Amino acid sequence: MSATEISSRPADQATPSLPRPGRTRVNLGFSRFSGLYVWAVIIAIFSVWVPSVFLTRQTLISLVSDEAVTAILALGLLFTLAAGAFDLSIGQNLGVSALITATLSTVAEWDPWLSALVAIVCCTIVGLVNGLLVARVGINSLIATLGMTSVLLALSQVISDQQFRGPVPDGFRALTAWQPLGIPAIAIYAIVLAFLAWYVLEHTPFGRKMYATGASPEAAFLSGVRTSRYLLLSFVFSGFAAGVAGVLLTSKIGSIGPTIGPSYLLPCFAACFLGTTQIKPGKFNVWGTLIAIGLLATGVKGLQLVGGQQWITDAFNGVALIGAVSIAVVASRRAAAGRRRNGARAQ
Amino acid sequence: MSSRVAHAEEDPPPVPASAAAAALEIRSLSKTFPGGRGLIEADLVIQPGTVHALLGQNGSGKSTLIKVLAGVYQPDPGATASVHGESFDLGSAAAADAHGIRFIHQDLGLVSSLDVTDNLRLGRRYASRWWLSDRKERRIARDLLQGFGVDVDTSVSVGELSQARQTMVAIARALSDGDRPGRLIVLDEPTASLQREEVRYLFELIERLRDSGNSILYVTHRLEEVFEIADDVTVLRDGRNVVSRPVAGLDHDSLVELIIGRPLEAFYPDSPAPSSQVVLRVQDLSGPTVHDVSFDVHQGEILGIAGLLGSGYEELLFLMAGGEPRDTGTIELHGRPIPSGDPGAAIRAGLAFAPADRKRLSAIPAWSLRENLTLPALAPLRNLWLSDRSENRDAAAWLDRVQVRFPPSTLFSLLSGGNQQRVVLARWLRTGASVMLLQEPTNGVDTGAKHAIYSAIEETLASGTAVVISSSDAEELCAICDRVIVMNGGRIGVLLEGAGLTVERLLVACMKDSSTERNVS
Repeated sequence: MSATEISSRPADQATPSLPRPGRTRVNLGFSRFSGLYVWAVIIAIFSVWVPSVFLTRQTLISLVSDEAVTAILALGLLFTLAAGAFDLSIGQNLGVSALITATLSTVAEWDPWLSALVAIVCCTIVGLVNGLLVARVGINSLIATLGMTSVLLALSQVISDQQFRGPVPDGFRALTAWQPLGIPAIAIYAIVLAFLAWYVLEHTPFGRKMYATGASPEAAFLSGVRTSRYLLLSFVFSGFAAGVAGVLLTSKIGSIGPTIGPSYLLPCFAACFLGTTQIKPGKFNVWGTLIAIGLLATGVKGLQLVGGQQWITDAFNGVALIGAVSIAVVASRRAAAGRRRNGARAQ
Repeated sequence: MSSRVAHAEEDPPPVPASAAAAALEIRSLSKTFPGGRGLIEADLVIQPGTVHALLGQNGSGKSTLIKVLAGVYQPDPGATASVHGESFDLGSAAAADAHGIRFIHQDLGLVSSLDVTDNLRLGRRYASRWWLSDRKERRIARDLLQGFGVDVDTSVSVGELSQARQTMVAIARALSDGDRPGRLIVLDEPTASLQREEVRYLFELIERLRDSGNSILYVTHRLEEVFEIADDVTVLRDGRNVVSRPVAGLDHDSLVELIIGRPLEAFYPDSPAPSSQVVLRVQDLSGPTVHDVSFDVHQGEILGIAGLLGSGYEELLFLMAGGEPRDTGTIELHGRPIPSGDPGAAIRAGLAFAPADRKRLSAIPAWSLRENLTLPALAPLRNLWLSDRSENRDAAAWLDRVQVRFPPSTLFSLLSGGNQQRVVLARWLRTGASVMLLQEPTNGVDTGAKHAIYSAIEETLASGTAVVISSSDAEELCAICDRVIVMNGGRIGVLLEGAGLTVERLLVACMKDSSTERNVS
């Protein structure tokens, strides 16, 4: 799927530097860690601007536990993007997961853990259907998942009956309520999942083949990668992540409204694309995505605390997404142009 | 062909230099590339109202000449050119166009999903600016085609037309900007993908164009066509003119001699004698352009696959490696069948395939050498940690073996063609394949790097691997292969081996036999 070529897929080489083999060179250069610097600047600005409300433990806790859900969702999205496709249904899928969990455990009075399991299975099946449509039927991933979003929207309305569902039992809320060492549990789950995603994507043949599928489907296929299987599985992963994120969200906030979900879509995409400018430039990667989420969330939070309206969040995320992709595209074009100019045809 | 005879009587060979108003006259055209010969003091004189064939092997400078004429390349200073006595600037697309030079490239540049009318009218001035009338446009298109005597339904989409009709539409399109006689039409291998009977239609159009006062520069690999259609011929070899003369008085063999010209250099290493043990057995293999092909590959041998474009030699390796599903046929490696359309299974069985298109198919240019090297044989899934460090060590050892002096973390796209090809070789050597399928292994590679690639191929043979090379370079095939299969019209035309394997015979087999073979098929 050449879908990512529209936007980013900046040829994976913003830095044509040649690190020594064997050891990973520690490079604190702006090209790989610019996000951290920008993040520090954002923190500094709001610390000076509204120190009394920004620099508090409460702000930090709410920031971290809010963004943990976005982070888990983004980890799932990374798989589809790595395989060269888009999953636009991931936000609405999260909403379906949350609504299934809340509705089954309250209205139907199921055991909440069973409800959560059902939700995760349903969302994974949604991912599987997406994957079949894209990898087997051969529909463009944007179109397939756009259609799926609408189907899931209808499903959410049916499940929720246009009402708030909740509150879920306290026992289920305890899943995210505890704070070992003062860290919200949900953040710990996100970190654990991040390590898992990082391991699978960066350190297993499975992940390498996933990236190969996205980087060049034809070359990967001729190298023996079953590209259509990897493409399909990438959607299963993103569906599963949406399910898990929805369940944790339900546990965290207790009551689920009928319109939950879509608001997570844009921050997720923004984070993944902004993430391609960090750590491993040009490549959708886990740690870059987490840095991007932190950076974006801090900015949004600061603006809210300063007294901004709700629309500021939307504006900020939209501008960040466009900005991030522009930076990535321009950086890769510069790198390519630089190579051509230098005639850097290594002989 | 009375016209040709008459022509030959007027101009005894070689063609006199100062033909009064040649349709095109190029003198001392040189073009140097960094690290490669292009053209050296080449001349080309095309008489008005003639078909002029341009011949030469791959790399002889034909396409360079066409590209300079089309304004794609800038010539070196010192070249002069004139059209009908009027001097014009080489290397300018606008000047070529203004002087009535029209190009029909091998890739015709038609939009196959649009109909004939749209293709003819696209980019031209439409009949009205405010209301695009299908009826009017269709009439203009029909008149245009009729003017050239081309009988094609203007409402059919171009993709549904035969190759020959598509070519004729492309020619009509190139000439659709008004009625001006005396134009020069450059046809770059127009018959490469045509069936024999289709070629006839095209030739009729070419003859009509010539008779109405146009001149045609006809680039081809098929010698029998030269005798059929061309009045004069220019042969290029290593960027120089070998000869420029009327076709009359030449025969097939003398033309082949002119094209090949020089003796083979002792440039290619000797390969060890193959054992007679069969490693790979291909039986009744068929695909879109390949029909019922059967052959064996022996241990330690280099088998060449040759043919013209469209003869099926380009597709054969794809079918064997599973890059394309095959229609019929079996492929057995060490007696074990290899499933159709599954490169992964083929690789696991011990078949390696390096396609010609390095940037798109053989490798992932945006990835490092390390990642490209290890992709076909990543550590098995039970290996739970893909470590950068051990992968780097592994990759570095393989790079060393093929003498690529770059760290494994270098991006593939930064390497030169020769180094890229060696990395591709290393990646397949690493899989421990027992048969390597190489498509155009030295395409776009300079002379020094070629030698390194040949040595790397030789080394693999020593370990009992067999190599199948499909190449358009006849000299290369003759020099390094033990046997060469020549494909004609999708079938095996002839198998050359031992003393019978010479460049001349190979070229003759590629060019001459294609027509008879086609008629049979």
